[in-house]
Amino acid sequence: MAAKSIEETAKVETPRVAWLMGLAAWAVPGLGHVLQRKFVRAVLLGGAVWAMFFIGLGLGGHLYTVTDHGLGALVQLLPMSANVGTGLLYLACWLTNSGFAEQAHRVTYEYGNTFLLVAGLLNYLTALDAFDIAAGRKQ
Amino acid sequence: MRHVLWMAVFAGLTGIVFGVVAKGTDRQRVIYGLKVFGEFIAIAFVLGWILYFLPIR
Repeated sequence: MAAKSIEETAKVETPRVAWLMGLAAWAVPGLGHVLQRKFVRAVLLGGAVWAMFFIGLGLGGHLYTVTDHGLGALVQLLPMSANVGTGLLYLACWLTNSGFAEQAHRVTYEYGNTFLLVAGLLNYLTALDAFDIAAGRKQ
Repeated sequence: MRHVLWMAVFAGLTGIVFGVVAKGTDRQRVIYGLKVFGEFIAIAFVLGWILYFLPIR
């Protein structure tokens, strides 16, 4: 009985719209919730991510990209994957070549880096939240 | 002072996101968000004082 129930649960497919909402939330922080009419969540989550991103840039932080070859690239890959969490914000910076220059002379440089990294990581959480809501796993 | 301010901003924004994505009633999520904020601040001060006494300069 229990095995049958687990089997039935496993067969439940995730709606395609849930993937789209997750993708939208990743691409533009807050958009996934706006599209689902969760405006308060959108303002709180999207606002926090946008604020962290621009505060990070303002404090002199920089975005990571893979520039080295070999093992050096692996060291850069991890923070870059965190930065990529900000979606189109990262892409826009990459296209305009802004936000990648190190400003280590600034006192708040490390703070800026931390803000930028965590903005991306928090946006992954935001995208998961939008996905869960669209999939009906959360209200 | 500027460092403490930015640390508090960081803790506040992180607390907001953690509180909003958490499960439970609104009251439970607000309390959780405040708890995350408080924990960030408290741990930062504790680590700050520990590092202050370590001869690492």
